[in-house]
Amino acid sequence: MKVQEIIRNGEVFRPFAGEVLRIGGSCEQPWAVCDTRKLTVEVAPGASGRLVLLHDSPVESEIRLIVGDGARISVTELFMAEAFVALGVEQAADSRCEITMAELTSANVDYRVAMNGRGAECALQGVFLATDQEHCAVSVRVEHNVPDCRSNSLVKGVAGGSARGEFRGLVYVAPDAQRTDAQQQSRNVQLSREARITTLPQLEIYADDVKCSHGATVGQMDADAILYMRQRGLSEVQARALQIEGFVGDVVRRCDIEPLREALVEAVGAKLERM
Amino acid sequence: MLSVKNLHASVEGKEILRGIDLEVKAGEVHAIMGPNGSGKSTLASVLAGNEKFTVTEGSATFCGQDLLSMSIEDRARLGLFLGFQYPVEIPGVTMANFMKLAVNEHRKFRGEEPLTAAEFLRLMREKSAIVELDAKLTSRAVNEGFSGGEKKKNEIFQMAMLDPKLAILDETDSGLDIDALRIVATGVTRLHTPENATVVITHYQRLLDYIVPDVVHVLYRGRIIYTGDKTLALKLEKEGYDWLINDYKD
Repeated sequence: MKVQEIIRNGEVFRPFAGEVLRIGGSCEQPWAVCDTRKLTVEVAPGASGRLVLLHDSPVESEIRLIVGDGARISVTELFMAEAFVALGVEQAADSRCEITMAELTSANVDYRVAMNGRGAECALQGVFLATDQEHCAVSVRVEHNVPDCRSNSLVKGVAGGSARGEFRGLVYVAPDAQRTDAQQQSRNVQLSREARITTLPQLEIYADDVKCSHGATVGQMDADAILYMRQRGLSEVQARALQIEGFVGDVVRRCDIEPLREALVEAVGAKLERM
Repeated sequence: MLSVKNLHASVEGKEILRGIDLEVKAGEVHAIMGPNGSGKSTLASVLAGNEKFTVTEGSATFCGQDLLSMSIEDRARLGLFLGFQYPVEIPGVTMANFMKLAVNEHRKFRGEEPLTAAEFLRLMREKSAIVELDAKLTSRAVNEGFSGGEKKKNEIFQMAMLDPKLAILDETDSGLDIDALRIVATGVTRLHTPENATVVITHYQRLLDYIVPDVVHVLYRGRIIYTGDKTLALKLEKEGYDWLINDYKD
C-alpha cells in the first residue's frame, strides 16, 4: 500500500486553519493531519501519542507542538510535495519528543526545538533524497534552555543529478543549562558530480558542564562496496541502490508506525531507483 | 574451464601482468604463490573484471566464453567467484538481503525462478553450517563489525550460497588464527566437486595442508615462472623463492 493510502485509511483529523489538536491520555492511533497550514498540537501532561504529518501539496505550514510535563509524542513527517514547513516544538519537564522525517522531493523544513523543562529529551532523525533539479533543505535548531536535557539529531542526505541539499544545524545551550547532553550529526552522499550538498552544523554553548558533539560528512558512493556487490552478481544499478538504501535505511526504519514503515521503505526504494 | 593466454594488464600505465598463461580444468585445485608484489592479487582482480585494471594484451576464456568482454556481474553470474583478500563492509545492508539479491540474480541469469522466502532461509541455514558461521551474522550488515575470521568465513559462506564453477580465493588464509583457518579451509574442501575448480592464492603452505592442490604455480614479476605439483609448496616453504627468482632478476 502506498504511504498516502495508509494515512488516509487511518483515523484522519482535518483541522481548520488555526484549530488546536489536543491529545489527552494515551493515544496510540496514528493521526494523519491533512491540512497543516496553521496547526497547533497540545500533548497534555503525562499523555502520549503518535502523529503523522503528510505534506503532499505545495503549501506553507506552521506547526506548533506543545509537549506537556512527562508527555511523549512521536512524529513521522513526510514530504511528498514541495512544502515549506516550520515546526516548533516546546518541551516541558521530562517530556520526550521523537521526530522521524523524510523529504522525498524538493522541500524545506525548519525545526525549532525548545527544551524548557528539566529532563526533557528530543530525538530527531531525518533523510532527504534529492535528484534532478530538486532542492531539499533541512534546518534543525535545538535550544537547551534549562539544565539536564538531552537531544540527538541525525540528518542524512543524498543528492543525485544536479540536485541541491542543504543542512543547517544549531545546538544552543543557555548559560545555566548545565549537564546538557546534545549531539548533532549530518551525513551526506553525493551521487553525481553536479550534485551539491552543503552542511553547516553549529554549536553555541554558554554553559560549562555539558556534553556536546557535532559532526558533518559529505562523501561519494563507496566504489569498493559497489565492486564487491557486483562480484556477487548484482548489477551496478542494484548495488548502488542497495548501498544508498543501506545508508538511509536505518533512519527510515525508525518510523514506529508499523504499516507506514514498510510503505515508507518502499517509497524510499522507488525514489532511489530514479536517482 | 578457464584458459588464460599471454595476459597482460596494467594499472595507471604501470604493467603488472606481463604474459600470464594458465589452464584450469574442472575438478582441479590450483595454488598460486609468489613473493609480495608479484601480481597475484592483480591476476585475481583482472579475471574478476575489476575495471581499475586495463588488459593490454592476451585473452581469457571461461566456460567457452570470452571472459574479458564481460561485465563483473556477468562473470560472477556465469560462475566466477572471487574471495576478497579484504572483504568490504557495507553499512545498513544485511547479509540476508544482499545474498537474496545475489542468489536470485544468479538464478535469473540461468533462467530459473527466484527462490521463495522459505527456500532461501533453508539455503542460508544449510550453507552457513558449512563454515560454522553464526546464524546471527546473517541478519547483520555485510561484514560490518565482523572479526577478521568472521569476514573470511563469510566469504566462503557466500561462495557456498552461490555455488560457483570457479572460485578464486585471494589470500583467504591471511589474518586467520589456526581454528579459523581450519574451518575456512575445510569449508572450501567440502565445496569442491569434480565439476568445479578452485584457485587459491596464498603465501603459506599451511593452507595447502587442508586444500591439497593439483598444481602449484609461482608468480613473479607478472609471469608464471614455475609450475609444479604440491611438493613445490613444501619446497618453497623450506627454501623460499630465491632459488627460483635469481634467474629472473634484472
